[in-house]
Amino acid sequence: MDSSSALSTRGLSKRFGSVTAVADLTLEISRGEIFGFLGPNGAGKTTSVKMIAGLAAPSGGTGTLLGLPLGDRRARRHLGYLPELFRYQPWLTAYEVLVLHARLAGCSGERKTLNALLERVGLIERRSARVDTFSKGMQQRLGLAVALIGDPQFVLLDEPTSALDPLGRQEVRELLRDLKARSTTVFLNSHLLSEVEQVCDRVAFVTRGRIVAQGTLEEIAGAQRGVRVSAQAGRSPIAQLLQRFGNVHPNGKSVLVEGAGPKSVPALVRALVDDGAEVFAVEPVAATLEQRFFELTGGGGTQ
Amino acid sequence: MIAFALLTFRELARRKFVLTALIATAVLIALTGWGFSYIAHSRHHGSVPTRMELAVVSANLVILLAYLFSFIVAMLAVFVAAPSLANDIESGVLLPVAARPISRASILGGRTLALGIVVCGYVALASMAEFLVVRAATGYFPPHPALAAGYLSLIALVMLSLATLAASKLPGIAAGIVCVVCFGLAWMGGIAQTLGTYFENDVITHFGTITQLLIPSDAMWRCAAYQLEPLALIERMSGEHVWSGPFFVANPPPAALVVWTLCWIAAIYAAASRSFALRDL
Repeated sequence: MDSSSALSTRGLSKRFGSVTAVADLTLEISRGEIFGFLGPNGAGKTTSVKMIAGLAAPSGGTGTLLGLPLGDRRARRHLGYLPELFRYQPWLTAYEVLVLHARLAGCSGERKTLNALLERVGLIERRSARVDTFSKGMQQRLGLAVALIGDPQFVLLDEPTSALDPLGRQEVRELLRDLKARSTTVFLNSHLLSEVEQVCDRVAFVTRGRIVAQGTLEEIAGAQRGVRVSAQAGRSPIAQLLQRFGNVHPNGKSVLVEGAGPKSVPALVRALVDDGAEVFAVEPVAATLEQRFFELTGGGGTQ
Repeated sequence: MIAFALLTFRELARRKFVLTALIATAVLIALTGWGFSYIAHSRHHGSVPTRMELAVVSANLVILLAYLFSFIVAMLAVFVAAPSLANDIESGVLLPVAARPISRASILGGRTLALGIVVCGYVALASMAEFLVVRAATGYFPPHPALAAGYLSLIALVMLSLATLAASKLPGIAAGIVCVVCFGLAWMGGIAQTLGTYFENDVITHFGTITQLLIPSDAMWRCAAYQLEPLALIERMSGEHVWSGPFFVANPPPAALVVWTLCWIAAIYAAASRSFALRDL
């Protein structure tokens, strides 16, 4: 295992009886990276997160977090974790929750530091309010503050914006960029693809407990999907003329030639001009993360 | 571990568990005090009971009350321990806590320590208050109140450790049911042992004894009951060939039984701690 990597897993698996929740999870995440972990509900994302956090024992495989075996207490000292099912002691105030976690994390928990965390997640005005008076969104903000206690080197966020409004989501994105600027590694488990697209360096798609694709956003989503052609037909119909370059999908006044790459553009334009067509635009079309999600997860929704 | 003990104390205080238990118990003790006072001043065939008659009636009633109190204490221990742990596991409260650089044993240890202190403190306070109220009303005071309270506390600790083990594996309600059934089994074991001895049936006697050893809550009740019996009552009843039952115990508790119970509590707690450490959250 490479100790310079923030997280490294080899063939990690988890079975519940005859059901395989996670199969052969192999990941390599560098320090300072924001890594998106994507997949539909029930794909095994949260189980994977729990194994990384040392809350669930793997059925097979190995892994290290910050160079130490998964679950090792020394690694957990530098881990910040926001669970998907977030709930904090309802009889404590927001500030008391932070004091408790600062003590458990083994850090000083100075008033100034904890107040700064509450300020950062927009809860400073409610610092003395009991958690049971908080909305779900406010509890999630509190969870983010808890996850950031002690300046962790590795932050594990399981659906961190599921209860937040658009403004809250924007704030989380800014927070993630801030973490990246501080070289903090972030493992972001989410099915909000636009969010992942905006902040992640690399992503992995998981479905039915298996990783089906892994790489940078360009490698996964930015792959050339085809070429969109806007042209007035000459002697032959446009669709018929462009069939040899790829699968043609007419769409209003343009056609999408799926599978056609940048190298085929000159030949494609020449074919159109030779046929007497008037060409207005030829533009490459990249797949979006959402399109790749549907392709890779078999069209399953994110619910 | 200390952090979790303090957290549990704070939970019990803020959720008004302690206050509710104390108020309900105060009402109960006040009612029994009124009842004892009524007995002390009642007339039988035109005359008030003699000091001896009052002592015999009071001694028997104190044992009966303590018997009911042992049920309350056992159920209190179960329903304070089982749902709180199981609910914290199910609701996800423990997820961010257990991900911290601490051992699961410290989470469970702190919680159980605090619950044990609160429940045993409650037993000591409530039983002493009851004994003092009885003395104020009738002049009778049981011979070994502190030892009786100690054995009642052991009943609480037996049920607390059992509830912790059950809640480390099962949902809160299921854990509570398991504990109540076990408590009932121990009670039945005690009855079986009494009947087996009376009818000289070894099979039933051994069944009762084994059940009482497997779940020593009823055995601890009998130890507590013995400490509440005045010597005169023991001598008189023993002379009349009366066998031990839930309300009269002829022989003092064997030291080995107390040692067994303490080991049992430690072993069950150790099993709970291991079960909690190994389970997925």
